[in-house]
Amino acid sequence: MRELLRRYQFVLLAIILVLATVVLYSYNLRQKTATTFFERAVLTFSAPFQSSIDSVVDSITGVWDNYLWLVDTSQQNQQLERENLNLRAELQQAQEVLQQNVRLRKLLAFVDDLDRPALPAQVIGEDASNWARTILIDKGTLSGLKNGLPVVAAQGVVGRIIKVAPESARVLLITDASSAVAALVQRTRTRGVVRGRGDNLSIEYALRDADLQVGDLLVTSGMGGVFPKGLPLGVIKTVEKGQFGLFQQVKAIPTVDFSYLEEVMVIVGEDDL
Amino acid sequence: MRGILLFLLVGIFFILLQSSVFPLFLSPNWRPNLILLLILYLGLSESLSRALISGLLLGAIQDSFCGPSLGLYVSVYLVIILVTRTLTEQFNAESPPLLLLLIAAGTLLQNLLIALYLTIFAETASVFHILLPAIPKQFFANLFFAAILLYLLLRFQCFCGYRPGLAGLVHQSKRYGS
Repeated sequence: MRELLRRYQFVLLAIILVLATVVLYSYNLRQKTATTFFERAVLTFSAPFQSSIDSVVDSITGVWDNYLWLVDTSQQNQQLERENLNLRAELQQAQEVLQQNVRLRKLLAFVDDLDRPALPAQVIGEDASNWARTILIDKGTLSGLKNGLPVVAAQGVVGRIIKVAPESARVLLITDASSAVAALVQRTRTRGVVRGRGDNLSIEYALRDADLQVGDLLVTSGMGGVFPKGLPLGVIKTVEKGQFGLFQQVKAIPTVDFSYLEEVMVIVGEDDL
Repeated sequence: MRGILLFLLVGIFFILLQSSVFPLFLSPNWRPNLILLLILYLGLSESLSRALISGLLLGAIQDSFCGPSLGLYVSVYLVIILVTRTLTEQFNAESPPLLLLLIAAGTLLQNLLIALYLTIFAETASVFHILLPAIPKQFFANLFFAAILLYLLLRFQCFCGYRPGLAGLVHQSKRYGS
């Protein structure tokens, strides 16, 4: 018996170790919201380094962009002036809509879901793999953050916090394959679940008969209990209806450009409802 | 122990590069996985116990920096080290083309294992849509950065002297010859 064990000790060790790590992974999958001691220690240790690297790179790129690389500056200036004019016009229209909205809200005693306190945070790191879509922000438990809090940007939903350390937190982006957000189409109020596909989104459980069109805006439905209702998620890019099946195949582009994400807001307050 | 600590420090340096510096210049698919290169090197050159301990800790560190759950990379890197160890006992580990082949196979194996684990345990089948198109780009990125690291390592060897653990790398150095 001992001879047998000695002969196959490498194979046995390999099988035991692989099984142990699979059990560890499987166990941690169940404890999704918990940040382990190891993860907290690593995040705490690395956060100052990542902040420093971020500052140094920001300084270097700032000098490069502002003082050295000025090739397109004149054209950009003209383009920005044109955009500014358009935006001013749109802003005036938006203010009109806002006032109308306030009146209607009072009339219908509608509760504004988005009236919650929010905490600004800076993005200090991205995911270290090519398949997962997460970011690291420079606020953590010391700032009152906890797992599950929604994170947004000016353009829409960014994701939700999945790991927290004292001075940093990891945010699961809506484009991650494991992310699912309850959504509805703003125009038709059709419901669905928005899932991440790396760089874009897919809408699951959108019924075959539902009226979905390219360009429709997807917003959070507020049903998942994480995100407030009405926050922009993405814009529908393609709609396909197969010959069979209950649902449509819909793809969307997120409203937030994650490749240029620098500052985000963490919604820390509870829902007023 | 010192050797393991050295690998951990190099791993933390690599992971900081991957999460804070590379994202500024490279899209996700073109970012190399430097930890994978370190794991392959461990499997190729170090003793089994040192390779396993360092590999498990490096996997845990990478898990802390990506994805939602601890344990994925721990398991994936363990399998890669064991496979590398088994293969290098069968082939000539000092052949330069084998290193390239090892990086290609390592990249492929890593992506397949991640896809398998995520599909079976986490039910995120759509990760295939992210991983599959990324494999060729990942391969080239890993190869490019492996070449740079190899060059730096060989230069570094000249200053620190010969180290018996560097199987497959020492003999490529023109300075040392084969």
